[in-house]
Amino acid sequence: MFEIPKDRAVPFGCVTAAPVGEQPMMITGNWREYRPVLDQEKCNLCMNCVAFCPDACWQLDGAEEEVVWNAKYCKGCLICVNECSTDALSKAYELDFPDGVVRLEKPF
Amino acid sequence: MAKELLLSGCAAAAQAVKMARVDVICSYPIRPYTAAMMELAKMVNNGELDAEFVHGEGEHAQLAVVYGASAAGARVFTGSSGVGVTYAFENYSPISGGRLPVQMMIADRALDPPGDFGSEHTDAMSARDQGWIMGWAETPQEAFDNHLINYRIGEDRRVMLPQFVCQDGYFVSHIPGKVKIPDQAQVDEFLPPYAPGTHVLDPQQPCSHGPQIRPDQGAIMDLQRGEAFLNLPPVIEEVIDGYNRIMGRSYSPWVEEFMTGDAEIAFFLQGAHAATARHAIRHLRDQGVKAGLVKLRFVRPWPARQVAESLSKFKAVGVIETSTSYGGSMRGGNLLAEVRASLYDLPERPLTTSFMAGLGGDVIPLQEFYWMAQKLADAAKAGRVEKTVYWAGLEH
Repeated sequence: MFEIPKDRAVPFGCVTAAPVGEQPMMITGNWREYRPVLDQEKCNLCMNCVAFCPDACWQLDGAEEEVVWNAKYCKGCLICVNECSTDALSKAYELDFPDGVVRLEKPF
Repeated sequence: MAKELLLSGCAAAAQAVKMARVDVICSYPIRPYTAAMMELAKMVNNGELDAEFVHGEGEHAQLAVVYGASAAGARVFTGSSGVGVTYAFENYSPISGGRLPVQMMIADRALDPPGDFGSEHTDAMSARDQGWIMGWAETPQEAFDNHLINYRIGEDRRVMLPQFVCQDGYFVSHIPGKVKIPDQAQVDEFLPPYAPGTHVLDPQQPCSHGPQIRPDQGAIMDLQRGEAFLNLPPVIEEVIDGYNRIMGRSYSPWVEEFMTGDAEIAFFLQGAHAATARHAIRHLRDQGVKAGLVKLRFVRPWPARQVAESLSKFKAVGVIETSTSYGGSMRGGNLLAEVRASLYDLPERPLTTSFMAGLGGDVIPLQEFYWMAQKLADAAKAGRVEKTVYWAGLEH
């Protein structure tokens, strides 16, 4: 008989319980080549990044004082950098960070 | 009361779908299949059939509509022909991967080069590897029966797979034949209401259909469908056995033979041209040629063991392709490649070759059957085949 490794199992018909908040079955942050970097000094909370991010990776924090970035799902499309109204966002090469995703032992 | 009607293949399909009590139908016109939707639209309009009838924007939309409806737990029906079948192609794999027992009728039609209305199996055969059950009907009666049989197979909890229920365009779809229509009670006994199980959309328990998965899970998904097909044969045999018993039919699940008892040569094919083949074989028999016919009922799942058992008793077998696979190993169609693969492990194999015939809507006249029989007789006598493919009617 076939043996399916537990960490690779797929539910019947690939029908999954609807994710609440985040989808742990599909982490896409490791697709990134560049990441957006926020300069808090320049940010005026215009919320363009929150509105334009296709993956909802920019969110207001609990205190509603700053926007925070979700590294797990940001694919590095840089739409937020383009849309930032105060040039508070800039792009930086992923490899320049100690936690750069290409250094993960397992790419997926 | 059970009754007998004179129906085209399209009308017979519509009758079966009505008696299957489908919940959602999605149409888009393209001939020749479209006559089935015209019948169903009338049935919904005059209150004979209580179903949602959705007119799609195109074939891709048709399949998307029934994909969603099936995911919500409905018994669904859609259909198409020719380039409509290919336009919808993207949705076939997600539906089988999602294990949704969608039923799609295909009244086949030649694909456009640049435009041809005639029957040819290439449209459906191009989709044979998408994880759907697939088989052809020879007559309106067989079309009627296959629609009911396929719902029952596809919706079995051990299976949960979509089905292409195919019939030859025009030869079956538009030529009326006698169709025995069972009582609704018989159909209800054979085909209980669809019980979709746990993987359906439910507002109380939200779930995602067709989510993105990781590449290392892709193989697992493929294995799920692969296992479903491995488990299919006994279910198909059981369902057809039940159908024969309840409806008083005598279908063989895999291959049907005609005059094969003492036959030395045989034609192997699927679909409508089997009718002409039977006539040709009767005439050939009158002239002392020991010819027979083996008709395939399911091309997916391919019944390798039964094909090998059936064909091993002949000296030479001619596979009539009715579809094209340009550049393939047999230089003609796909069926001969499948047939030869099925025979490979036998200690003694019959000689096999193929005939490109019935393409683009061409009839296969008796003369061509006689010509093919001669080629097979020559091969049997010489103990070898000249080549793997002949274009019937187009070469000497």
